[in-house]
Amino acid sequence: MPIGASLLKKTAVEADTFVQRLDGRVKFLYFIWASVLVYVFYDPVLNLVLLAATLLLAAHAKAAKPILITLLVIIVPWILFAVPILSLPLGFPWNKTVIGYIELFGRKYPVYLEGFGWGLTWPLRIAVAIASALLFFLTTNQAKLAATLFKLKFPFKVIYAVIATLQFIPLLAAEAETIIQAQTARGLRTEASVLQRIRNYLAVIIPLTLSSLNKVQVRAIALESRGFSAPVRKTLIYEARLSAADYLFLGGMLLATLLLAWVYVNIGYSPISKLPWVWAG
Amino acid sequence: MGAEVKEISPAGKAVIAAVLVPTIAALNYVGGVIVEALKAPIWGDTWATILGTLIAGFWVGAAGGFLYNIIMALTVWGLPQWVWGFANVVIALITWLMMRMGWTDLKKPITWVMMIVLYGLLYPVFTTLVSIGLFGGGPLWKPLPAAVYAATLSATGNFFLANYAQAVFTEIIDKPVSFIISVIIASRIPKRFVLAR
Amino acid sequence: MEPVIRVENLTYAYPTSRDFVLRNVSFEVHRGEVLAVIGPNGAGKSTLLKALNGLVPHFYGGKYGGRVVVAGYEVLKTPISVLSTKVGFVFQDPEDQMSGLALTVWEEVAFGLMMLGFPREEIPKRVEEALSYVGLKGLEARSPFELSGGQMQRLAIATVLALKPEILVLDEPTAQLDPLGKFEVLSVVKRLADEGATIVIAEHEIEEIAYFADKILLLDRGQVVAYGPAREVLASVEELKSRGVDPPSVTELAYLLSRDLGVKVPAPITLEEGVESFSKLLGGAGGA
Repeated sequence: MPIGASLLKKTAVEADTFVQRLDGRVKFLYFIWASVLVYVFYDPVLNLVLLAATLLLAAHAKAAKPILITLLVIIVPWILFAVPILSLPLGFPWNKTVIGYIELFGRKYPVYLEGFGWGLTWPLRIAVAIASALLFFLTTNQAKLAATLFKLKFPFKVIYAVIATLQFIPLLAAEAETIIQAQTARGLRTEASVLQRIRNYLAVIIPLTLSSLNKVQVRAIALESRGFSAPVRKTLIYEARLSAADYLFLGGMLLATLLLAWVYVNIGYSPISKLPWVWAG
Repeated sequence: MGAEVKEISPAGKAVIAAVLVPTIAALNYVGGVIVEALKAPIWGDTWATILGTLIAGFWVGAAGGFLYNIIMALTVWGLPQWVWGFANVVIALITWLMMRMGWTDLKKPITWVMMIVLYGLLYPVFTTLVSIGLFGGGPLWKPLPAAVYAATLSATGNFFLANYAQAVFTEIIDKPVSFIISVIIASRIPKRFVLAR
Repeated sequence: MEPVIRVENLTYAYPTSRDFVLRNVSFEVHRGEVLAVIGPNGAGKSTLLKALNGLVPHFYGGKYGGRVVVAGYEVLKTPISVLSTKVGFVFQDPEDQMSGLALTVWEEVAFGLMMLGFPREEIPKRVEEALSYVGLKGLEARSPFELSGGQMQRLAIATVLALKPEILVLDEPTAQLDPLGKFEVLSVVKRLADEGATIVIAEHEIEEIAYFADKILLLDRGQVVAYGPAREVLASVEELKSRGVDPPSVTELAYLLSRDLGVKVPAPITLEEGVESFSKLLGGAGGA
């Protein structure tokens, strides 16, 4: 999927802004914090506010473009499908409040608030989650990521599995491309019948898998021969440490949480747009 | 011979697993890319989970699939997507079950039946629950499933049914096809790579 | 002087096979010696090398008989992680032996040190030394996977050199390389040999090994067919050829001259020796 193309190139955006310098744990916490917030509240405008804040951070860190592309490909079509289907009288069970009418094919159809709110809020929740996750990922280079996981006391083989996946994906993708080229030279055509396309897929995936399994064997014994299983505490080059900037950022998040908690208790779960309660909203 | 010969048990399985799991996660990912490039009519992003389970057992397959979703959650889809990791675990579980019951022989009709029932009808129940609970249970951002959702919703007015129908539509072709592909690949793998009994 | 490697009647079969891939293999390697292991494909060379750092039997399991003592440790009773501090193993495929954890060449060399828990202060010095030795200085920030085959293989050598092992084991290190890569890697190996490293190397490039091998072991179907000083083993041309191994061309020429024309020449094993011997034979004055 072109969305995941970020993994196929150098993933971390190497700029030297305070966002990159924030500790990985802080950024990961932000990711979780923002995602939880948008699920606690049911308010598309609030979601947009958090989204804007995240995008601002990303822009400062020069990582805004991949995030915007991702959002464009996933969230925008999603809203475009969800809002009409849910807010028009197509059967969304909680539609009661009419906010307007729309003229289609010579007939007038009511537009419902409940469906409209639902169709906007949910995709925007995911948008905040995506943006904050990508912010973490794009501004945390691999060594820092490993150090973060290490500090969080993940077992080393798990850390290895996570980082190695990030390394293997580009390697496998490059090999897949070579195989596709080789098969194309032997007559593989992408414009073909459905069955043929599945056969094409097999013609690429089978050699790729066999080659990968071979590599697993060699890599495993190479790792072993360099002390991978040594029962000692591994030394990592980079050590995760919290700095003043981290504490400031955490302080900011805490303040925001307190403010939003007050809002929730006193104004409600849909403070800005005042959406009515819908089941599981 | 002369020298007495001892039987030693292999200690390499843990390291192989540590390398195999990321390989499965990466293969899931690249599988999706290849599907896009070759315009194959499937999602193709859980096939490696099935393959991993077939050759190395439930834990490796589930771990590889789960890790794939974590990576996707960290890099593309955002936090809530990590829950789909459990969907991958369910896939590994179903695959393990099919292995245990001997339903991996493509020549047996029961394989085809169970394949469609388990992957195409049972598994979508799980994804429907996740969809509704975490993602709002609205239509997907792809046109065909969204159309199925809309049609079911207007025909029955049942929110859950609309989600389920959309889920079945999405999974009933992709998962069984991924299963078939993985079984074919697994049969071509030399015995020495197979870690599962 | 106590040999640093002693192999006595090593017999081994992989768990998935009934056939023994090594049968009663015995040999010794002294400190500073270079042993070359040659033989046709499937002879068991790789397996033999893996028995020196514990991959055989600990990683694979299987049926194991005989005794292997390396740097004072009995392999059967020592875990691979301990042996990896004494034996540095370089594999055939440059890319597949990269750790997959390192983003840069520097990190790759540091990998073994990180795995074994070396103190952070010691690591940079060792990494720099190892990288300089193999001639990769200046490439520290590159991704290991962006290097050429020869560079990657030299990187692999650097990663084991950083651990300062007592013995270096190389399993057909040039098999996957182009001629330039082969040259780069063999130059490093030659340098190590000249500086007194203890090396066990399996190779097909007989002509090259002839330059620095002290002893040669010829393995066929898991058994030692010939073992002795390099010159001796290489001179037995018939034996080598019957086992599917090509001796150096100059050696073979000398042998054929002797066999077919009755002309006796001290068997040369390198090109330079060959030039000298044959020039003398032709009555010319010294090397041409």
